[in-house]
Amino acid sequence: MSSIRRFLVVVLLATITLINFLTALHGYRTSMAKAEQLFDAQLADIADVLALTAGGLESSPAVLATVMGDGPGIAFQVWHHGELLSSAGVAPENLAEPVAPLVVGYADVNFAGYRWRAFSRYVPDTERWLIVAERADVRFNLAESVILESILPIILGLPLAGLLIWIIVGRGLRPLKDLAGEMGNKRSDDLSPVADFEPPQELAVLINSINDLLRRLEASFEREKRFAADAAHELRTPISVLKVQLHNLLRDADEGMVALRPLKAAVERMEHSVEQVLMLYRTTPEQFAANFTDLDLAGVARQVIAALYPQLEAKQQQIELVADRSPMRGDAFALRTLLTNLIENASKYSGSGCEIRVTIKHKGNEVELTVEDNGPGIPADQRDKVFERFYRLGSDRQDPGIVGSGIGLAIVRHLVDIHGASISLGESSFPTGLAVTVRFPAASSANSGRSAA
Amino acid sequence: MSILLVEDDQDLATGLLEALRKEGLSINHVGTAKAALHVIGTETPEIVILDLGLPDKDGLDVLRQLRRQHRDLPVLVLTARDSLGDKVAGLDSGADDYLAKPFEMAELLARLRVLGRRMGTSSSNVISVGAVNLDTTSQTVTVNGEPADLPRREYMLLKVLMENAGRVQTRDSLENKLYSWGEEVASNALEVHIHHLRKKLGSDFIATVRGVGYTVKEA
Repeated sequence: MSSIRRFLVVVLLATITLINFLTALHGYRTSMAKAEQLFDAQLADIADVLALTAGGLESSPAVLATVMGDGPGIAFQVWHHGELLSSAGVAPENLAEPVAPLVVGYADVNFAGYRWRAFSRYVPDTERWLIVAERADVRFNLAESVILESILPIILGLPLAGLLIWIIVGRGLRPLKDLAGEMGNKRSDDLSPVADFEPPQELAVLINSINDLLRRLEASFEREKRFAADAAHELRTPISVLKVQLHNLLRDADEGMVALRPLKAAVERMEHSVEQVLMLYRTTPEQFAANFTDLDLAGVARQVIAALYPQLEAKQQQIELVADRSPMRGDAFALRTLLTNLIENASKYSGSGCEIRVTIKHKGNEVELTVEDNGPGIPADQRDKVFERFYRLGSDRQDPGIVGSGIGLAIVRHLVDIHGASISLGESSFPTGLAVTVRFPAASSANSGRSAA
Repeated sequence: MSILLVEDDQDLATGLLEALRKEGLSINHVGTAKAALHVIGTETPEIVILDLGLPDKDGLDVLRQLRRQHRDLPVLVLTARDSLGDKVAGLDSGADDYLAKPFEMAELLARLRVLGRRMGTSSSNVISVGAVNLDTTSQTVTVNGEPADLPRREYMLLKVLMENAGRVQTRDSLENKLYSWGEEVASNALEVHIHHLRKKLGSDFIATVRGVGYTVKEA
C-alpha cells in the first residue's frame, strides 16, 4: 500500500540530497579556485619578503628558511646574471638552471619529481631574479581538506534531516489520520456529519464533500423510510376497511353469496403482497445489520408458528417444530418474515391436510433451519429452475413479475443475504415433498467472524 | 360495554361501528383528538379504541394526556405503523394493547373481550369453550356443568388459553407468565400443569402444537 508519509520522506530527502550534492560540487569548485588565488597571493607575498631581504640572503639560507616557514613544499632560487646565488628546497641536480622561466609571473613547472606552482620576480635594484615555488599536491591537499571539512557536516546531517522530515510529515498528516479514525469509528447507520475536529484548510474541502455526501445519503434513506411509512398508512387503512366490511357482509350473508369467498381470498392476498412490498422497502441491509441483536431462532420460530397456526388449522394442516436452543445474531423482525414466508409457501404448495415440519439445529458454528412438507414437492431437475427464478427475482427488483407470488421468494433471498446465510432446496424427510434449508452463522462464529474482519 | 372509537378514516369507522354493534357492544365514534378528549372528559367510556394517525394531534400524545386523568381506562391502540419501536412507544405511553392494521375482526373482538373482562365490567364474565366454562369473577371453572377444582396456577393458565381460544400460546410466553405469577419454574412445570388440566378437562381440550406451545380450539 502506498503511504503519503513514506512518499514525502523519500522524495524530500532525495531532493535535499541532490541539491546538497550540487551546491557542494559547486562550492568545491569555486572554493578550489579561490584557494588557488589565495595560495598564489601567498607565493607573491613570499617573493616580496625575499626581495626586501635579498641583500643578505645568499649568506644565510637558514634565515630564509625561517622566513618562509619550513614546510616541505616550498622552494626558492635567487639568480643573478645566470648565476645561482641562493637556493632552498631544490634538489642539487636541478641547480644548473632556473626551475622556472625567468619571466615575471606565475608558471606551472616540473622538477624534483613533483609538479610545482612557481612565481618569478625580478628585483631591478639588485638585478636579481627570485623564483618561489610551491608543490602543487601540497597546495591541493591543503585546500581540499579545508573544503571537505566544510562539506562533511552537510552529508552527516542527512539522516538527521530524514528523521525531522519523518516527524514533521507525520504531524502534518495527523488531521488526515484523525479524519480516517473518525470515519472508521462511525456506526454503519450513523450518517451525522463529520464535525469533531478543526480541519486544516486542505481537508476542509474533503470534509465538506463527505458531509455533503452523508447528508444526501441520509436524505435518501429518510425518503425511503418515509415512503414505506406513508405507503404503509395509505395502503393498510383501505385494506382494513375492506376486511371489516367483508366481515360484516359475511356475517349477514347467506349460503348463496358464494362470490364473497373469493373476494375475501383476494383481499387477503392483496394484504399479504402489500406487507411483503413494504418489508422489502422498509430498510436497507446496512440498517438491518446495525439493528442485529442476540436471539434464539427457536424462540422466533415458536412465535411465527403460533401466529400462523389459525390459518394452518383452517386448512387442516399439521405443523411441528423440532428445535434446539439456537443462539445467533439477527434482526428478529426480518427473521419472523423469513420464517413466515417459508412456512406459508409450504402451506400454499402442499395443499390442505398436509404436514409441515420446522427443524432448527445448532450444529457447531451453524444454525440450520429446515422447513419441509409432505406435499407433492418439486422434481429434482426443476428445483434448480425454481432456484434460478429465485435469484433472478432477488437481484432485479425492477422485474415486472416480482409483484406476484414470487415476491415472497425474493424477500426470503434478501433476508438470507443480510444475515450472511445460505439457502438450498432438497428432498423432504417425508416420503414426498420439498425441504428448504437455510444455514445461518451461529452466535459464536458470527462473533469471531466479526472480530477477524 | 361502552366503547369509544377514535378513528379519522370515515369508511373504517363506519365498518367498525356496524361490526361492533352487531356484537352487541355500545359504541360511539369521534374523528379527532380534540373530540376524543372532550368525550372522555365528559362521558367516560369503558374502553377506548385509539387510532394513532389522527389529523389534529399525534395519537400517542392523546394517549399520554388521557392517562393523566384516567389511569385505569383500557386503551387499545390501532395503527398502520408497525415497527417494533412504534409498538414499544405505544405500550410505554400507556396503551393496554396494540393491534396493527390491517387486522382481523375476530382478533379485535378477542382483544376487546380480554380488556372488558380485565375491567370486570364485561356483560359476560364467563368464557365458554365447548363444555368448559370459566367465570373470571368467581374464578371458577365448570366442565359440563360440574365444578372442576383447579389450583390457582392451573386456573391462570387455563384462563390465558381460553381467552385466546383458536390461537397458540407459545411455551415461552406461558412460562414467562408462570414466572410473573411468582412460581419457581422447574423445566417441566408447564407440562405438569397441562397434564393436570387435561385430566380434569378431558384430554382433547388443550391441544399441543409440537415444539411450539398449546392451544384451546374454538368450539
